[in-house]
Amino acid sequence: MADVALEARLPLGGYAETFGSVSLAEVTGLTLVSAAVPNGGDAAFAVALAGGFGAARPATGGSTAGDRYGARILGMQPDQLFILFEPPDPDRAAETVSDALGPAAYVTDQSDGWAMLRIAGAGVRAALERLCMLDLDAAAFPEGRVTRTVMEHLSVVILRDGPDSFLLLTPRSSARSFLHAVEVSIANTAG
Amino acid sequence: MIIDHPLLGPRDAAEFVILGDASLIDRPDWQAEDAAQQFHDYLHLRDNPAGEHRELWFHEQGDRSWLVVTRNTLTHEVLKVELARDVAVARGRDR
Repeated sequence: MADVALEARLPLGGYAETFGSVSLAEVTGLTLVSAAVPNGGDAAFAVALAGGFGAARPATGGSTAGDRYGARILGMQPDQLFILFEPPDPDRAAETVSDALGPAAYVTDQSDGWAMLRIAGAGVRAALERLCMLDLDAAAFPEGRVTRTVMEHLSVVILRDGPDSFLLLTPRSSARSFLHAVEVSIANTAG
Repeated sequence: MIIDHPLLGPRDAAEFVILGDASLIDRPDWQAEDAAQQFHDYLHLRDNPAGEHRELWFHEQGDRSWLVVTRNTLTHEVLKVELARDVAVARGRDR
């Protein structure tokens, strides 16, 4: 049998482009692990999260920063959080989280299911307002706010990680269609 | 139609899926003497009001929570939005 070498590929091939005042780039080097809180385990989870990641538990729709692994904890839904972090070993991302949290959470590695894009720059709101039904004004959607929503009929998790910067997480299987939609919207509003 | 989500604020109805009458929360006891009759009523008998109506909605493209939405079927006005879990717990369910 011939030797077969498998090579890891990024969902969007390391895409990075700048259009006028807006930059759009695939985010690499981060991994995503979901943590579900057992029924009645809220107090134990808060202790484990503080001990394992140095982070407070965010409310649903909010996020908090941890002091380990560059972690950000995303409050996705009641009893479920996403942990976005720089893993010491990407092949053992779920183990890193389960070691950190112990039995206080049920963890699942989500990394390979998602493509991550960062859209940033002065024109970012104009580009996103044609895709996103949410009010992205800083008063309604301040820095650190995160939520799942729909853009171009595709599921997207949107996190504001700066005054003019958003992180977009979208299912890997439809990531190129989503990227196309964002590119078109930026082109339509750039000028 | 805009649904004012108790945790996330106003969201477009396109992010939600409707299940139906909120009475589906009150699942009968399957061990009751007249369980068959109770399940018949539970499954098949519905009020169909023209006006105020309580319904279960699922925030599929959001935080995946079940909501009890009280709305007016004549005007589409949304009067009240609660987490279904809170409603179920208030009715004595454990979750």
